[in-house]
Amino acid sequence: MNLAIRDIKYGLGRFLLTSVGVGLLLTIVLSMSGIYRGLITEALVLIRDVKADLWVVQRDTRGPFAEPSRLPEDVRYRIAIVPGVVEASPFVLYSIQRERKGKPLRMTVVGYDIATGTGGPTRIVAGRGLAQKRYEMVADEKLGLTLGERIPLGLHEYAVVGLTRGMVGSGGDPVAFFSLADAQEIQFVKDNWAVRNARERALTAYERALPTMPTLPQTLARQFADNPDLHLVNAILVRLDPLAEPGQVAATIERWGHFTVFTSEQQADLMLMGNVDRARRQLGLFRGLLVIIATVIIALIVYTMTLDKLKAIALLKLIGAPNRTIVGLILQQAMALGLIAYGIAVSLGELTFDKWPRLVLVQAEDRLLLLAVVVVVCVLASALGIRRALRVEAGAALTG
Amino acid sequence: MNDSIAVRIDNLSKVYGSGHTAVTALRGAHLEIHRGELVSVLGPSGSGKTTLLTAIAGIVEPTAGRVVISGTVLYDDGWKVRDMRRFRREHLGFIFQSHNLVSFLTALENVVLALDINGVRGSRAATIARDLLDYLDVGERAGHLPEQLSGGEQQRVAIARALANSPAVILADEPTAALDTERGKSVMALFRRIAREKGSAVLCVTHDHRMTEGFDRTFYVKDGQVTSGA
Repeated sequence: MNLAIRDIKYGLGRFLLTSVGVGLLLTIVLSMSGIYRGLITEALVLIRDVKADLWVVQRDTRGPFAEPSRLPEDVRYRIAIVPGVVEASPFVLYSIQRERKGKPLRMTVVGYDIATGTGGPTRIVAGRGLAQKRYEMVADEKLGLTLGERIPLGLHEYAVVGLTRGMVGSGGDPVAFFSLADAQEIQFVKDNWAVRNARERALTAYERALPTMPTLPQTLARQFADNPDLHLVNAILVRLDPLAEPGQVAATIERWGHFTVFTSEQQADLMLMGNVDRARRQLGLFRGLLVIIATVIIALIVYTMTLDKLKAIALLKLIGAPNRTIVGLILQQAMALGLIAYGIAVSLGELTFDKWPRLVLVQAEDRLLLLAVVVVVCVLASALGIRRALRVEAGAALTG
Repeated sequence: MNDSIAVRIDNLSKVYGSGHTAVTALRGAHLEIHRGELVSVLGPSGSGKTTLLTAIAGIVEPTAGRVVISGTVLYDDGWKVRDMRRFRREHLGFIFQSHNLVSFLTALENVVLALDINGVRGSRAATIARDLLDYLDVGERAGHLPEQLSGGEQQRVAIARALANSPAVILADEPTAALDTERGKSVMALFRRIAREKGSAVLCVTHDHRMTEGFDRTFYVKDGQVTSGA
């Protein structure tokens, strides 16, 4: 006779409500795994999709994902003639936040050479890629933009010609792709008010500093305020001949003295060990804490359920039930609670995780790991109740 | 040992605590109950009745003396808790003042539980349990939970459970205290019938003076000493 199932049926409403509560807790535990995996996937999506063999960046910097890296755009021509290099393509990457319909619009801007296509959008789900050199953009659907919409950025408006899915920067911001020239202009060119303001400030400074040189301030001010250097990029993406030796090509480029070269794997490692590492550890810590909290809560629930049955347990002992019957009753209920809660957590995750603001990527192994954790947690949690149950004296059944 | 003796107690003593706080609950008690006999144990609160019952039930180990049930000496050296439990489920039946049915089991399941614990399972257990409930006139209530039964019906189900494994001895602790006089008398009549028809020795611990008639013998417990009345 299975006492656990009969007891559950007797208090089904309360048991299910408790299971839902524990299930919600396990949903959060599962989401931690998903957020962690999503964080890594999002952090690496650009590096993986770009498919560059080498990343050439400013000397002694860690690349565009880790810190500002600026190098002249025309370096691509020098790199392109290095033996083993098939293609060298400029790449711009930065984040901006603007306002759209009264709400913040935050995006990671990627600028690439549309002639080579390297660094451009790879996951277009609607519309097309960039076809002309100016004033077009391809946006990730998470930005909420629609095809044909025109977005003002800086001095110009950009038409949305394509939508991607799952393209995000390392910080989780959806990516918007622009031609190299547009991306440079959005980043560096000041609007007219800013230009006039900068010009006035420079004029004032020079007038104070150089009273004896009346014409020089105007000349210098115009030069500095109006003509920023647009032809800077954050990295040069290099594709190699399959027979080329990446280390050798990297050594050749680094020998020039102005650049540092990373392979894609090195860029990915830098990303995971740098930008993502703290968040990863934080999530791991949070997940560990949640498992402990879940254990404590399940233990308390099982313990309370055991307290409710002390009289029945004493009776079972009195009429000669072996300990395994009593242990089975408590353990099976704890397992039922855990497994129902697990089912709720997995189902809830399936239904809702794709609607969370950031990617929550739960894989089969995460679900299996959670199942194993739930089983272990239930066994541990029931230990407290079992200990209490085994200490009940059979004589307690006689005392009314 | 005479095979007709279901319970024999020799020189049984029980002292709780030690030193200044020692309390003697039983002092050299002697008692014999035969199969098919219905006996009562009467005495005021604190006289040692419950200690006597729990010693016979294999719950409280006596300080001195012997408890022999169906020829088996309880508390022998080497007996462990599980041995005592096995002995209880095979040889003893229990009935309580508060009925003590498992709240989440139906009447039938409460009886099946006792059989299940003793290794009788499936349709055989269900048949035995149903027969017992019919025998005690609560067969129609087999599918009901204890909370859906009256006090008298609950007590009948508890008696059915106590009888499930055909025990040599049925120990009843204040079995009529929670019942009105009519239902109490009905339960006592059942005990008499069980003792005669099933051959079990029935020992009722009670201080319910309404129910002192009809016992084959009565023992009195006072200050830990047991004396035979009739």
